[in-house]
Amino acid sequence: MASQKWLEMIQKAEKKCIIEDGKQKVHYQFSPAEEMVEEYNWETGVLIRRAWRKKNTFGGEGQWDVEIGDPETRFLNLNQVGIKESSSAPFVSRRITKTSLEWRIRNLPYPLSVYTVKAEPESKCITVRTTNKKYFKKLAVPDLERAGLLPEQDKIQFTHKHNTLIITYQKPPEVYGLEKKVLQELKKIKPCKEGDMQCNPS
Amino acid sequence: MEYMYIVFVYLQAAAAARVQEVREITRIERIGAHSHIRGLGLDDSLEPRHVSQGMVGQLSARRAAGVILEMIKEGKIAGRAILLAGQPGTGKTAIALGMAQALGIDTPFTSMAGSEIYSLEMSKTEALTQAIRKSIGVRIKEETEIIEGEVVEIQVDRPATGVGTKVGKLTLKTTEMETIYDLGNKMIESLMKEKVQAGDVVTIDKATGKISRLGRSFTRARDYDATGPQTRFVQCPEGELQKRKEVVHTVTLHEVDVINSRTHGFLALFSGDTGEIKAEVREQINAKVAEWREEGKAEIVPGVLFIDEVHMLDIECFSFLNRALENEMAPVVIMATNRGITRIRGTNYKSPHGIPIDLLDRMIIVSTSPYQEKDLKEILKIRCEEEDCEMSDDALTVLTRIALETSLRYAIQLITTASLVCRKRKSTEVNIEDVKRVYSLFLDESRSAQFLKEYQDEFMFNEMEEEPMEVTA
Repeated sequence: MASQKWLEMIQKAEKKCIIEDGKQKVHYQFSPAEEMVEEYNWETGVLIRRAWRKKNTFGGEGQWDVEIGDPETRFLNLNQVGIKESSSAPFVSRRITKTSLEWRIRNLPYPLSVYTVKAEPESKCITVRTTNKKYFKKLAVPDLERAGLLPEQDKIQFTHKHNTLIITYQKPPEVYGLEKKVLQELKKIKPCKEGDMQCNPS
Repeated sequence: MEYMYIVFVYLQAAAAARVQEVREITRIERIGAHSHIRGLGLDDSLEPRHVSQGMVGQLSARRAAGVILEMIKEGKIAGRAILLAGQPGTGKTAIALGMAQALGIDTPFTSMAGSEIYSLEMSKTEALTQAIRKSIGVRIKEETEIIEGEVVEIQVDRPATGVGTKVGKLTLKTTEMETIYDLGNKMIESLMKEKVQAGDVVTIDKATGKISRLGRSFTRARDYDATGPQTRFVQCPEGELQKRKEVVHTVTLHEVDVINSRTHGFLALFSGDTGEIKAEVREQINAKVAEWREEGKAEIVPGVLFIDEVHMLDIECFSFLNRALENEMAPVVIMATNRGITRIRGTNYKSPHGIPIDLLDRMIIVSTSPYQEKDLKEILKIRCEEEDCEMSDDALTVLTRIALETSLRYAIQLITTASLVCRKRKSTEVNIEDVKRVYSLFLDESRSAQFLKEYQDEFMFNEMEEEPMEVTA
């Protein structure tokens, strides 16, 4: 089962954790080429941030790929990257609350009537379309995938305000259960103290 | 009436501006000494055509190069060395570049001059190792992020002062969406080089910045301008602009080395200085590549390392090469030299071509011979075409004589200068007078030597040495 697989992956990973500013920060090393970090609110146990980093084929260090939380601001020189989306282009940030999975797509100025948000179980994603053909996005739902579920249309709601399209997906009980099991797993790790540094700072 | 006039002037200015823009886009490459070479000029049975793909004469050497080319394309034989030997100006570099062109862009071809390895930042053997590893490609499937869409608009703003960085914006769309991208300088240049314009469907590889034009969008099929018979029409892409796609890349071993030498990171590829790479890193990568090859994930593409002026290497480099060629990952090494029996650099021993006998023994030697008058004329004609210079027949005959009596390189210099003189007298065709004029203005090597012999007493430090000086070309 998919949920079992995810739990096993978490259990097997080499984990380190630290508690800082009311957040529990966890680092997972799944394999030499794949790592993940998570930040939980220490009081509520709600996930604030999750990011992945994979090594590319040739072994170079990749960039952090943020799954949940605000995307990292990148101060890359345009002449080094060559091409990047203009700063006014829409971007997605994901959140998880106690009861729902959320997407916020910022920099979308069009009115609410323009958008259609559809669950697409065949391709395991949610699509956002605009009638004016200005924006289109396939949103993957990794949390549902891990619990072995497919997106359902009647769990989706969306609103639009302050140039932002907010999509909420009601959290299924299976996802909730899986999160709880993972949290229990994390309780087992002994957090490093702030003084436990691996090297002496100069 | 006056109003009409103003409108007319305005239109003219606009047209002029457009013409200028077009010229800037089309003429980005400069004309180099060998930019007329487009291949080896062989037919399917490897017989050389007399004049083809910018190559003239030198038939046996070109035929030999064609045979070597087949060997490289088969890719089975590693670590062979070929020596192109011949007098200055007999087309050694041209043959090597012709081979590079014939191999195509997928086979790595590294070109270096023997003197390039002497650097204070890097040891000689490191420079050679890097050059060797630059000449071995690894073809591997890799998932990369690409942007695929139809160009809606390209906007490039130059700063008012004319210098400084350009600012570029590219608007791309699919059937579902539209996004504006900011462009870096390199990307602007390659977009211009590819002559990308609104209505084209392009893919941009985000990691490498490589742009490929897929064709024109069907929605633009009714634009009757600028559609040649070869114009290919394609559908506007669907869905998201950014996609992850499996593409087959050819990267060189050196590039993989650089990515993996942690101290530099992959940005070092772009900034150009890489410094020394540790032997352990290379060993790791060799093991990894061997593993990929066994799993069938990757394929080794042995390429060509061309070392021009190979007599500039010293004895240490030669013995290093001896050893490096035995490695099964070694590329085919082509060397060129214009020396006869001379001292091996770094020793007091003399050897043919300034190369130790043991290395010479491992090479196959292709020799080039001086051009005949007929060939010289053809080459000069090709160069005239390459430099956009029209020349009358008798001027060309005179120039051929000059090439025969002095050197081909000198005659080629005269093409450029003569065409400038011709332009100054507002003519479009270079005639004998122009050639005579520049022949008297610019001395060739032998006349200059003659001049020095006559007037050496009046120059400074003119004590002539007893033994004749070695003349370098």
